[in-house]
Amino acid sequence: MLSAYGQKDSIVNSLDEVIVIADKNIKENSIGFKKINLQDSIILNNSESFTSLLRFNAPIYFREYGSGGTSSARFRGTSSSNTAVIWNGININSVNGGQTGFNSLTVNLVDNIDIRPGGGSIKYGSGAIGGTIHLNTDLQFKKHFTNQFISSIGSYETYKNVYKFSYGSSSFVMKGGISRNESENDYPLLGTEFVNTNGSYKNLEWNFNTAFKFSNNSKISFYTTKYNATRYFSGQLPNPKAAKEKYRDFNQRNLLVFEIKRNNFTHITKAAFLTQEYNYFADKNIDTYDFGKSKTYLLNYDFFWQINASSKLETYTEYTSIFGSTKQIEEKNRIQFSQAAIFTKNFQNNISYNLKFRKDFNSDFEVPFVFAFGAEIPLENNWKIRMNASNNYRVPTYNDLYWPGQGNLDLIPETSKQAEIGINWSTKRGNSSYTNVDIGYFYIDSKEKIVWTPGGDPDRNGIWVPINISEVLNKGFEIRLSQKYRLDHHIFTLSSNYSYTNATDKQTDKYLIFVPKHLINANFAYSYKKWNFFYQFLFNGKIYSSEDNFFSLPSFDISNIGLNYKIFNNKNQSLAVALKVNNIYNEIYQNSPSRIMPNRNFNTTINYKF
Amino acid sequence: MKINKLAILFFAFNILFISCNDDDEIFTPQGDYTDGILISGEGSATTGSVTFIPENLSAPQQLIYKTVNDAELGTFLQSIAFNETNAYICVDNANTINVVDRYTFKEIAKITDQLVTPRYMVAVGDTGYATNWGSTAVDTDDFIAVIDLNTNKVTKTIPVGLGPERIVAKDGKLYVSHKGAYGTNNKVAVIDVATEVITEITVADEPDELFFDADDNLWVLSSGRASWTGSESKGSIAKINTTTNTITTSFDLATTEHPNFLTYSEGKVYYLLSGNVYEMEVSAATLPTSSILEIGSVNGMEVNNGQLYGLNASFSALSELDIYSLSTKEKTKTMSVSLAASKVYFNE
Repeated sequence: MLSAYGQKDSIVNSLDEVIVIADKNIKENSIGFKKINLQDSIILNNSESFTSLLRFNAPIYFREYGSGGTSSARFRGTSSSNTAVIWNGININSVNGGQTGFNSLTVNLVDNIDIRPGGGSIKYGSGAIGGTIHLNTDLQFKKHFTNQFISSIGSYETYKNVYKFSYGSSSFVMKGGISRNESENDYPLLGTEFVNTNGSYKNLEWNFNTAFKFSNNSKISFYTTKYNATRYFSGQLPNPKAAKEKYRDFNQRNLLVFEIKRNNFTHITKAAFLTQEYNYFADKNIDTYDFGKSKTYLLNYDFFWQINASSKLETYTEYTSIFGSTKQIEEKNRIQFSQAAIFTKNFQNNISYNLKFRKDFNSDFEVPFVFAFGAEIPLENNWKIRMNASNNYRVPTYNDLYWPGQGNLDLIPETSKQAEIGINWSTKRGNSSYTNVDIGYFYIDSKEKIVWTPGGDPDRNGIWVPINISEVLNKGFEIRLSQKYRLDHHIFTLSSNYSYTNATDKQTDKYLIFVPKHLINANFAYSYKKWNFFYQFLFNGKIYSSEDNFFSLPSFDISNIGLNYKIFNNKNQSLAVALKVNNIYNEIYQNSPSRIMPNRNFNTTINYKF
Repeated sequence: MKINKLAILFFAFNILFISCNDDDEIFTPQGDYTDGILISGEGSATTGSVTFIPENLSAPQQLIYKTVNDAELGTFLQSIAFNETNAYICVDNANTINVVDRYTFKEIAKITDQLVTPRYMVAVGDTGYATNWGSTAVDTDDFIAVIDLNTNKVTKTIPVGLGPERIVAKDGKLYVSHKGAYGTNNKVAVIDVATEVITEITVADEPDELFFDADDNLWVLSSGRASWTGSESKGSIAKINTTTNTITTSFDLATTEHPNFLTYSEGKVYYLLSGNVYEMEVSAATLPTSSILEIGSVNGMEVNNGQLYGLNASFSALSELDIYSLSTKEKTKTMSVSLAASKVYFNE
């Protein structure tokens, strides 16, 4: 298994010239942050769902409404709408609801994923408070032509089929793929007489990406993807058979990037068009449904000026126009103009820092001026101190503002101030062994959080209304360890995250709901020649499900194991088979009340590259 | 709906239909939850639950169903109906009526077959009648489930109009307020149990609570439609003659006034309007002009034995029950009860 950033740095450095990355400067913008990069092999070992991929590999708590159901992510005890998902540099959180469902993203068509805990509103806008998750497409200007088939069969009639290709020369590249997943998902609800009822899903995604290099100084790239899913929302105990909800998703994303470099100046222009639509059927047997739709037009101009060997200035100008509607809300247009500036300094002794500012002008409300600071100070013996501070915001969603009878036009954006300081120790031994330890303390002070509450508006007695009310304080620390050790043909890797989160409501001093105090995950892998064995572990601490901390869900831990075998692996083709067993101890656990998660289950995969 | 009223109805029905039963066995209730108050909470992210408060108002006991049965009720616990021995807990999203011993709360049965969004039930002898919204996506499949209380099975269903809510029974007839589920309605249906013939009485929009006074008049409170619907309509209280099925008096409020939580105790009617409690004699010709007590916005209200019980609900934490003395108009007690608490029952 590949892991962590010791590894990532080397890959990025050596391939910088040939790989086209739409979100070019994530590395520089992330000075002072911890970044976790997930590559191919990890993605393949966790391809059940985005939720399980991240749950076992990142310090993020997921609340999943039953396996395969609605799933939301929380960094550091912040709310799920404070996690921003960034596709090739563009924020793709839902316009209507403000978040991304992690079971409505396809795992296998993403080339690599960056996970960055901490605020990121400067570059990624609304919702980047707890952290950002970056889905990246890599395009390589290098002579190659590869094809890949992945096919897997799992318990409860779960099927996945993926085809991907990539073709490239020194000046042209195109890459695409198609992925289809489906599952009956009717696993037995352990400890009850029921099975997971009405939980089936199927989805289809395809993507196509291409880039052309006019010269060493200018290139153009285009990314497009389309996703289509039908899912059913599974039932809750005590009577899962009552479930009959159905949900359809249609998402489409298109992005055009043009880059030109002249002397010390680089200009990147982006144009994007995104559409999102959901259809919600309260009863799958009836044709009437609720819907939400949005169209987003985005224009972005990025200007980089390498002032001298150590200084760089970036400005970032963005115009966004969003048209959103639901069955209940007629189409509203929201326009936002943003201007940001980022100054980065890299001293010769490798001390680096950056300063960032952003001001938004939004047609619907005042958005606060935001700033950020990040620094890294290398010390002796491979130690490094990193720090960052920022303020960030989340704008109210369309539902918050416009829901008939309940929306609140007086809402203002949520804001947070945060700071983080960490220490990092990284060492490489020889070509293929390394150790990286990172310990960071975080502090997030959030205000004006939007909470739906009955009687929120004195003029609307007893009606649920969103208001800016709560103030919360999150603090804690995260530890990440990643290690690789190689002895001849024996390769051992370990990566592990521990996070301690103390998140409280400032008024009541109670613990925030759905925030585990302790969260641990670990991945251990051992490879020998054609064989690879891995073990995954997750401990999810107790969570409260009511604000007075009266109701709670107990902690749980689960373990998965897997075995991969490369049948052959030569220059032109490779064939591998894999077997994975999830929840090997058959643990009964829930991460949302009254929804029992899957028992022990199996998954086999064939992976053929040629 | 209060238990003593239900008990009266039950006995009245008994006398009418099975008065030949001369077995004079005295029933003595026994169990941990005898003599006290039951508060039901709908649940939200968490399950629906029931709190028991002993008659002496000492410490409330939370989650009594879970404590006894080591199981969850599910969401949303809409209401509880009672007969002499059992409580029938209607959980609408779970399509379930949980049958428990009303004094021990030990589960006897779960009724799920043929129930679709069950809201309220009334027990008449060996038969239960439960209002069901049917699929919330369809306006035309609402029904009354007829339940054999010996076998705890649905024996048949009676189709009714949109959104049947509360249900009471008298003299072989069922009276159902059609609040309208997710839509809106303005009917009280009178269903002849024997013939299943339905007579509809039109009242103001969104009728909810209903009960009989000592003179057999049926009282129905309609909240009216809220302003955000774009077609706001007046709240109203209707007094209906159950012999002729006609409204004898319609106590209308202003278009912008939306009362709730009509209840009846010792010859008086109580309701809540904009956080204020109003009291009127059943013989009154007009609505009272001044309130007797301000309790604020609540999610449920009941009056019994000179005490008023207001449920100051929280949907993300335990709720608060406030008890007021109607003679002194003072708040006498406050205690924590079920999450999303909405109903008060007296388990006597």
